[in-house]
Amino acid sequence: MPDNNGAKPETAAALPPPRVWYWRGMRAGLSSVQGMVLFAGFIGFGGLIRDVGFPLGAAVLSTLMVWALPAQLIIVGGFVAGNPLPVVALAVGLSSVRFFPMVASIMPTIRGKSGLGTQLLASHFVAVSAWVESIRLMPAIPVEARIPFFFGLSNIFLFGSIAASLVGYLLAGTLPQALVNGLVFLTPISFLLQLIRNSHDTVDWLALTMGLALAPVFAQFGGTLDLLWIGLIGGSIAYGVGRWRRTRT
Amino acid sequence: MSLSVSDPMLYAYLLVILAGFLPTDVFRFAAVLFSRRLDEDSEALIFVRAVATALLAGVIARLVLFPAGDLAGVPLWLRLLTIAAGVAAYLLFRKSVFAGVIVAEIVIVGGAILFR
Repeated sequence: MPDNNGAKPETAAALPPPRVWYWRGMRAGLSSVQGMVLFAGFIGFGGLIRDVGFPLGAAVLSTLMVWALPAQLIIVGGFVAGNPLPVVALAVGLSSVRFFPMVASIMPTIRGKSGLGTQLLASHFVAVSAWVESIRLMPAIPVEARIPFFFGLSNIFLFGSIAASLVGYLLAGTLPQALVNGLVFLTPISFLLQLIRNSHDTVDWLALTMGLALAPVFAQFGGTLDLLWIGLIGGSIAYGVGRWRRTRT
Repeated sequence: MSLSVSDPMLYAYLLVILAGFLPTDVFRFAAVLFSRRLDEDSEALIFVRAVATALLAGVIARLVLFPAGDLAGVPLWLRLLTIAAGVAAYLLFRKSVFAGVIVAEIVIVGGAILFR
């Protein structure tokens, strides 16, 4: 689809209304592998919270308000272990640092002319799922349509995940262990394949391989901030090499 | 610990709001404010995206190498074999994420039945 920057008024008028784009975003979410994987992961989450006795209402609230499965798993783990609230908050904060670069990198692409309030609301729906799919899909969406499309996409992800966690809650204890292992493993394998698919240049590829390679190293030496170091060091090297190659040619 | 609430159900809700929502959305909201000065094609954005990609790759590697809970009972070699099979299938089937995920699932579920 052509870029409509500086377009004549009638091109903008020819664009379908926002609710059509919201609907298209929802459809894109339902038909994406990412959506299926996400829902399967939340089936696992629903089963887990029932097994450990975490209240269902708090679990649904965590999907709505936190919307980050690793952070939600930390909360459930902290609840089971009886950890004090500040300790859980610190662990969640460290795992959620990744949203800073994710939101900062996707927002300039999707925001269009939307106001600050809309952008803050949109940022709440940014998680790995919507981030990965936005990077893939947004270039083909007209700039003015990106915000409604994003809300459709990310809302179907979030509310579908709540439904999936209810299914998992009902199924808890009835699934064979090997299948549960498979559900849990869906997250890393699908994240990895989608990062590979979204990698187009030197910076993308290097950031991906540096992140994978640095993880076991920093698991030994990085302490609790290891993910932050992996991101900053791996990302800096990838950016530096990419820039060096661009300026050389 | 004096901070823990006596009613465990109430404590779960407090954890979600105070230890979950606040420390997560503070980064999302800060990023929105930060990104208002970034252009769609700026150098800073290339850097920020590289950091996000490396961070996410780190999360993936940790989920595979140091899994929490039940998955830790699956041997490491099987987890690594699953990743290799998934990536191979992705490449073989014309870069289909779906094919890669399906093959990886067959390997991990089949392997978990046989080897754990």
